[in-house]
Amino acid sequence: MALEAFKTSAPLTMGVELELQLVNPTDFDLSASSPDLLHLLERKSFPGDVKPEIAESMIEVATGIHTRHDELLAQLREIRAALLEVGDRLNVAMCGGGTHPFQRWFHQRIFAKPRYRQVSALYGYLAKQFTVFGQHVHIGCPSGDEALFLLHALNRYVPHFIALSGSSPYSQGVDTLFDSARLNSVFAFPLSGRAPFVLEWSAFEHGYFAKLEKTGVVTSMKDFYWDIRPKPEFGTIELRVCDTPLTVERAAALACYLQALCRMLLARKEDPPAEDDYLVYNYNRFQACRFGLDGSLIHPGTGETISLREDILATLRRIEPDAIMLDSQAALDEIRAVVHGAGNDASFLRRCHAREGSLESVVESAIGCFRKGGE
Amino acid sequence: MPDILRNVIVETAWPAALLIAWLAGELGQRWFRLPRISSYGLAGFVLAAAQGGFLPDPADGSMALLADVAFGLILFELGYRINLGWLRANPWIGVTSVVEAAGSFAAVFVVAQWFEMPMVPALMLAAIAMSTSPAVVVRVLNETRSSGQVTERTLHLSAFNCALAVVVFKFVLGYWMLAGTGTVLGAVWNSLVVLVVSAALGVSFGAAIPALLRIVGGAERNVTLVFAVAALLLVAVTHALKFSPLLATLAFGLMARHRRVALSQAQRNFGVLGDILTLMLFVFVTATLDWRQVMAGFQMALVVIAVRMAAKLAATTLFAYVSGVSWHKGFLTGLALTPLSVFAILLLEQTRHLGLTLIDEVAALAGIVLILEVVGPLATRWAVVWAGEAPAAREG
Repeated sequence: MALEAFKTSAPLTMGVELELQLVNPTDFDLSASSPDLLHLLERKSFPGDVKPEIAESMIEVATGIHTRHDELLAQLREIRAALLEVGDRLNVAMCGGGTHPFQRWFHQRIFAKPRYRQVSALYGYLAKQFTVFGQHVHIGCPSGDEALFLLHALNRYVPHFIALSGSSPYSQGVDTLFDSARLNSVFAFPLSGRAPFVLEWSAFEHGYFAKLEKTGVVTSMKDFYWDIRPKPEFGTIELRVCDTPLTVERAAALACYLQALCRMLLARKEDPPAEDDYLVYNYNRFQACRFGLDGSLIHPGTGETISLREDILATLRRIEPDAIMLDSQAALDEIRAVVHGAGNDASFLRRCHAREGSLESVVESAIGCFRKGGE
Repeated sequence: MPDILRNVIVETAWPAALLIAWLAGELGQRWFRLPRISSYGLAGFVLAAAQGGFLPDPADGSMALLADVAFGLILFELGYRINLGWLRANPWIGVTSVVEAAGSFAAVFVVAQWFEMPMVPALMLAAIAMSTSPAVVVRVLNETRSSGQVTERTLHLSAFNCALAVVVFKFVLGYWMLAGTGTVLGAVWNSLVVLVVSAALGVSFGAAIPALLRIVGGAERNVTLVFAVAALLLVAVTHALKFSPLLATLAFGLMARHRRVALSQAQRNFGVLGDILTLMLFVFVTATLDWRQVMAGFQMALVVIAVRMAAKLAATTLFAYVSGVSWHKGFLTGLALTPLSVFAILLLEQTRHLGLTLIDEVAALAGIVLILEVVGPLATRWAVVWAGEAPAAREG
């Protein structure tokens, strides 16, 4: 099956997908409740899209296509309200966060769907360890070439999104010392990491993909777990490095930070992306996963070190005019607040653990965040 | 037989019986895929003195207290898994509970009348029939690691119908005392006072222990130990005062849960301590039975079991859709509520001191207990497996 043609979509449109945790409100462990939840959700119209994920303790929601921050946020809030209503009726709690702090991966139940069963059979314990929760942001692109340009131009900014969204400090019952332990789970997959440095869609399609497909390693774009991947059937690129934030407000802010960034990049105000950018890619990515906003980045060209926090603040200043054009300053204000003082969700969860002393209370506070929004 | 040999037999009877029951559990699981607790019960029945076995009648002596302790721990755990907020968020759960419990009561009372059972035993049998054995439910659901709506609803409905059953039972007891002896004080004491004081004791434990834990600190390390010891103390106190350990420990768990000191996964069933006590509890329950009683009321037992199941299935299925699950899952919730035995026996044991040996008067009860001891765990397991909530059950 050849790769499908890259569908044109309006530039800078965006859509958000959130993978959420389903939690038992009594013991705060994950609860394999997605079949029950989906059953009840089917009975009425849902303000977005909802589907099962690989483990029955996860659920994925998606917004429609948006151009404005306020509209995106409004839909995310409607989705949240619908989920909470159904969850309350079934005694199932929900929360964000990139990992569940103390769930045991071997207890997870794989959703009864052929593709998930196949993935589970192929990857064995990796599939169950993949019980992690991410936010995916789609950005519309007019053509495949434009999509690949944007994908590679964004490579220097990937650590920003990891650090800003980091909400998975705990995994399997311990503090991992990472702000995003989730990405370590994703990294275990053979086809994860960065996309190959190809800038023309035809070369990607007929060169890279076709060759790889012939080897039988992949059959569709779904087999790639790249940090950013093109999605030809939507006409988008999809940023996949974010942990699901604790609030939908943060999720909307991250999406609009990306949108404004893309607007700046598409104006071609920066040096074009180069293969050499990727020399430091994994190092910078690690810094963001491990240290969050306290990490430091290395510039691929000059080799100089700059703090991640500084780099985000500088970027915020640079994209201010784009945010004004997109009417998304509120989103950038939230990002600025994270960098300046409040910290990311990982530091919020660690503070909670230090105060309350148990991982169960960490989950409880995450549930509260999702329900109420804000911190 | 020389005295020394008799002493050895008497003193080793219980540990030996436990070992045999454990073996029966493992073999029953391997050969017949029978839940272990079903085999424990069968072993207890066969080994009892009444059946020619070597186990003395367990009702007199310390075994009754130990059984109360074992059950107390289970009820505490059940209480701890109940979210009262759910009743507010989804009132249909409460409606289902009241209807299934009242329906079971009414249906069984009618059957008992039809079998010409006297009024008081008939009322008591009906009260007992309301309940679903939490021991079986908690055990099976923990063993199968099930999660989902059938699991959650079974736990909640079991807790509620047990609480309702204790209340109704104690009121029937009060009525019996009033009718028999005419002493108002005795009647009120054994119904209202017992209920209120037992629940109040449980609630105060539920408030005090989490507070204590918070002061002492180290919640993650100490929580299992201190809750187990507190449950032990609570059972001992209520047992000595002839109050209701059942209601007290259930209230303890409920209160402790809503005071929010998290009980982590590892402490389900209270670990090995819980395993031993559960084994003992299930052997104890059926060792109180006599095959002659079982045979005497067998026919009625079957009818009572059938109408009780029908009432529970009807209620859970009827309110399935409005309460937010499929008909299928509603029906299976009713099926999962089948177990009865342990709760019934312990409830009855507590009436002995009043000179009421109900198990002799209610001919059908021994049969019901024995049948449901074997079938109950199976029904609960089938329910969660058929609901797709317990894939682990396939490996047993």
